[in-house]
Amino acid sequence: MSTFTGFLRSRSDDDLVALLRGRPDLATPSPTTIASLGVRATSRGSLERALASVDAGVLQVLEAVVALGPDADVRAAIADTPAGVVLVDSALERAGELALLFRDEDGLHPAPGLAELLGPYPAGLAPASPTDPPGDVVDVLPDAPAGVAPVLEALTWGPPVGLAPSNATATAAAVDWMVRRRLLVMGDGRHVVLPRTVALALRSGRTHRAAALAPQPHFATRLPATVAAESTDAGERIVRLVAQLGRVWEESPAGVLRSGGLGVRELRRVAAELEVDERLAALVVELAAAAGLVGDDGEELPSFVPTVAMDEWSLAPVATRWALLASTWLATSRTPWLVGGRDEAGTVRPALSPDLHRAWAPRLRRSVLGMLAAQPAGAAPDADAVLEVLAWRTPRSVPPVSAVAAVLAEAADVGVLGAGALSDAGRALLSSADEAAATFEATLPPSLDEILLQGDLTGIVPGRPSDELESLIARTARVESRGGAVTVRFTADTVRLAFDDGATAEGLLAELARFARGPVPQPLEYLVRDAARRHGRLRAGAASSYLRSDDPALLAGLVDNPKLSGLGLFTLAPTVLAAQAPTRELIDALRAQGLAPAAETPDGHVLHVAREVRRVGRRGRAAASRRAGTEAPAQATAAELTALVARLRAPEPVAPARAPAPAADDGTDEPGDALLLLREAVAEKADVWVELVGPTGRPERRLLRPLRIDGGRLRAADVQRESELTVAVHRIASVRRARPVAAPESDDGIADEETA
Amino acid sequence: MTNGPLIVQSDKTLLLEVDHDQADACRRAIAPFAELERAPEHVHTYRLTPLGLWNARAAGHDAEQVVDVLLQYSRYPVPHALLVDVADIMSRYGRLQLVQDPVHGLVLHALDAAVLAEVTRSKRTAGLLGTRLDDTDVVVHPSERGHLKQVLLKLGWPAEDLAGYVDGEAHAISLDEAGWQLRPYQKQAVEGFWHGGSGVVVLPCGAGKTLVGAGAMAKSSTTTLILVTNTVSARQWRDELIKRTSLTEDEIGEYSGARKEIRPVTIATYQVLTTKRKGVYTHLELLDARDWGLVVYDEVHLLPAPIFRMTADLQARRRLGLTATLVREDGREDEVFSLIGPKRFDAPWKDIEAQGYIAPADCVEVRLTLPDRDRMLYATAEPEDKYRLAATAPGKNHVVEKLVAKHAGDQILVIGQYLDQLDELAEHLQADLITGQTPVGERQRLFDAFRTGEIHKLVVSKVANFSIDLPEASVAIQVSGSFGSRQEEAQRLGRIMRPKGDGRTAHFYTVVARDTVDQEFAAHRQRFLAEQGYAYTIVDAEDLGIGEPATD
Repeated sequence: MSTFTGFLRSRSDDDLVALLRGRPDLATPSPTTIASLGVRATSRGSLERALASVDAGVLQVLEAVVALGPDADVRAAIADTPAGVVLVDSALERAGELALLFRDEDGLHPAPGLAELLGPYPAGLAPASPTDPPGDVVDVLPDAPAGVAPVLEALTWGPPVGLAPSNATATAAAVDWMVRRRLLVMGDGRHVVLPRTVALALRSGRTHRAAALAPQPHFATRLPATVAAESTDAGERIVRLVAQLGRVWEESPAGVLRSGGLGVRELRRVAAELEVDERLAALVVELAAAAGLVGDDGEELPSFVPTVAMDEWSLAPVATRWALLASTWLATSRTPWLVGGRDEAGTVRPALSPDLHRAWAPRLRRSVLGMLAAQPAGAAPDADAVLEVLAWRTPRSVPPVSAVAAVLAEAADVGVLGAGALSDAGRALLSSADEAAATFEATLPPSLDEILLQGDLTGIVPGRPSDELESLIARTARVESRGGAVTVRFTADTVRLAFDDGATAEGLLAELARFARGPVPQPLEYLVRDAARRHGRLRAGAASSYLRSDDPALLAGLVDNPKLSGLGLFTLAPTVLAAQAPTRELIDALRAQGLAPAAETPDGHVLHVAREVRRVGRRGRAAASRRAGTEAPAQATAAELTALVARLRAPEPVAPARAPAPAADDGTDEPGDALLLLREAVAEKADVWVELVGPTGRPERRLLRPLRIDGGRLRAADVQRESELTVAVHRIASVRRARPVAAPESDDGIADEETA
Repeated sequence: MTNGPLIVQSDKTLLLEVDHDQADACRRAIAPFAELERAPEHVHTYRLTPLGLWNARAAGHDAEQVVDVLLQYSRYPVPHALLVDVADIMSRYGRLQLVQDPVHGLVLHALDAAVLAEVTRSKRTAGLLGTRLDDTDVVVHPSERGHLKQVLLKLGWPAEDLAGYVDGEAHAISLDEAGWQLRPYQKQAVEGFWHGGSGVVVLPCGAGKTLVGAGAMAKSSTTTLILVTNTVSARQWRDELIKRTSLTEDEIGEYSGARKEIRPVTIATYQVLTTKRKGVYTHLELLDARDWGLVVYDEVHLLPAPIFRMTADLQARRRLGLTATLVREDGREDEVFSLIGPKRFDAPWKDIEAQGYIAPADCVEVRLTLPDRDRMLYATAEPEDKYRLAATAPGKNHVVEKLVAKHAGDQILVIGQYLDQLDELAEHLQADLITGQTPVGERQRLFDAFRTGEIHKLVVSKVANFSIDLPEASVAIQVSGSFGSRQEEAQRLGRIMRPKGDGRTAHFYTVVARDTVDQEFAAHRQRFLAEQGYAYTIVDAEDLGIGEPATD
């Protein structure tokens, strides 16, 4: 350790900065001394992290040093070509930079603790042992029997341990032959080990077959224009979808599942409204939530609704909006592609569920984009090619191919990829969101202010519509297809929506004419005018009651009568008035004016309105009396009345409204006493009167034979009802020993009530 | 980025801006593989479908050409996924071929052994395939040739039928081109068909499909079976063949409900072929009555399902389908493709109109405001009666009367669905009436009179929809129709699309009751006609000065 710390001390400031940059976990929290930095840099966790981030070349160097010891010739052990030598040299440098290797007078050493992390057989070599035979035992191999070669083939490049064949096969004979010549040694009873010296002799002293050169997978390339067009297309789409999600949820929010996610049905609704598949709908929902644009409203019955951030976001230019979504996507630990799959328990994972967090997700996205960014522009590798490179870059943490494919699919949906290749904006995203926004803006095709309106009531914007045109389209038509161009269809319904928002036929036609190439086609003009003609032909409004009469003069007088102004009367037709006041109030007020109104039913029959009286439903009372049980029988017995009077006389200043107290003699209301009494009753198999408090707080007296008390619950047989019941002890108000006599007469009452 | 006329959308629609300089060249380039969906005034919409792409493959185009055309004319970068798809779909056609093996007879030959393995394992081909000869060949029973082709298409591996045809019984037929000759596009159509072996020729109504049939018969010079929709149509075919070819009346037989003649050229109706007695098709023997060298299907888009089944057994004979549209309301386009054959020739209406062979048409929808009395009646009617009430609104009579007066001197057809309405109209206009009850002879007489200009006005029910030839009708007025079907519209428009002697514009009026279901159906019609590129306008009856006063 001291030499490692000494090594750290000997590093220049620049070297240390490089170390802290290469292993950021060492810098947070800031170490106080070099010694503490040394301790932290050799901790298992930090070393594991460092190992997870190194490429296959560095890993080879580390393995070689660990396997061969300080005086190893690492170059000779790994490299077999000049390119390999270059790779080994740079790997050594990188390993030194990360303080995974250090050099002292003896040679190269792994950082303390590193060896354990590389497993028992670094570079596939067994540990050195004093019983190892000299390397020249391999000289006998040319005379070896046939079964030997495959055994050596399997063990030479590691792992050096094999399962010893048990029966008399050719392999068993070969193994036997090799053990006798010390080419193999027996490990435990069942395994054989290829000794280190033998392995090295067979490998000609090498630790690896060849230097792990970076793979150069071959993949298709796309034209820059195609990449730009498809990525901006997808980018604009995701922005549009998130905005649309906001519009869907602001009007009808989606309920939050008890487990905290978005139900399958709600997700399907989103997918239907957005006209996308559920996979993309899940991405949109997750992205909007991760960006803070939608969230749980925190109500008692919670729903997902847009946040105020959504409002700010929707006002920003499209490039900024996209950049927020894209950078959120890059940084989020959410894994939308898992939505709809099943977890270990076999339940479907809902969108927005809390267990879709994966800490490695942002790292994976960054490494996939990093891999793409390292390729020439326009490269469109598939998931396998990406994985091949990632497997070399971080051999200690290779992601599953499904996750890589999912990340690529998401990147395409978000518009970071276009036609499978990284877009310029996607490349910029790796440095900053602002830069990405600027690049996205620059990549957007120029917007058009022109729409071709046609006689079949369609319109086509032969390019990307300007914001103004886009808003006109959104208000008046339905989009049929989007892409290089936008095609829309005008129908009576879509035009009606524009009128609902306050447009006029003239205004709408003028607006359309302004953007149209050529005149507005006659059928479209007719459609707009016809829709305007029909719009508002029916009028609806709110009123609480109406007043009608065959005498218009009479009604006219009422509207202007200041004494009736409180009724909110207004004329609907000469013979019909509407009022804001309810019918009863209206009639009373008119009667007070000396008029004689009659109420009527919807079909015109005169209704004789009785004076207003209040009643409460019968159902509530019946239920109440049922719950009250024996304490409120219709005819109380004399004994009970006596008890009642006694209770009335007893001073009860503390809780006068509480349930009637039990009789004073051998009853109990102390919980401890009650329990004791119950336990005794269990032991004696005796009956007790137990006063139970029902769910509504009403007490009920039952004659029970307690059977068992445990876990705060009493299990007892109800003697009269011949049933068993389990009741929580805290519901027991009091317990009283029952006399060995028949039940009180009131019990018939109970039975009646129960059967009723 | 070029400044081309075409915009390729990722949903596989192609938008062609027709005012662009290169629009014509582009249209010609994409026509072989893209189906024209809509052709309104500014932007035509084409769609790439598997059938369309396979049609192109059958016509000898390959994916590279298609991709080149798209890239060449596209204004914006073409979506990459679409190009991949096009190549993938097109590569599927012809990997399987039906060939005639000198030893084993009909054999399904695969250019790709994996594909053959896939289709032989499929449950759907069970029973259709015989002995496996080797990795790439399997014997097919000749009787299953059609059925197998259907199944392979459904499996996404349409087979190319190279097995050839029986020669059929020779019978000399030649065109009698005295004073007329086949138009250039008709010649191309015949050539296209003959070169391809079997298939469908798509020509608009009025473009002379019968002559394409006659041309194909002359080319084939064999006995021919012609299947048509109804008896009137059958007589029309007969007359035309006698007039245009060397065939005489004795050589042409009619096989219909009325007559059962089998002659070297036999014209049969779909109906008689599909007639069943006790669950058995009674007239199937017709198909084998002679060694037919050519089978012609008129109006392929109306071909009933049983005929498809019979056609499956006729795969060894040359088949020519004639139609105005490949679109079938029942969506069985794929059966036409696999059983009759790929599209061999196609000329859009506008093209032929531009060449002056069919008349330009002007479509006008006249909206009539119903008087209050009728509106009230309509509002309270049962839903099933509403269409009838709206379609037969009495106010329509006045409108028709005024329209007829406006076009006095023209040949005018009034078309409707409800007989009592038509009766009334015929009486009003003092015109003759043709309905389903009119005897065939009487029908023919009236049609002839109309053709010669002896009568100017004719009121017809929907019997007139199919395959009658009314050369000089220049105005059609539709008062009611069956629920705005696209087919019906194509047929009705076809009635007046025939070339006029003096190049006048044809007029197609539809009279519609405002704010009723009638108007909703009119919306379908409007969409269809505008999509076909016809000028469409909507006017109020009042504006024509021919409305009934609204306060009646």
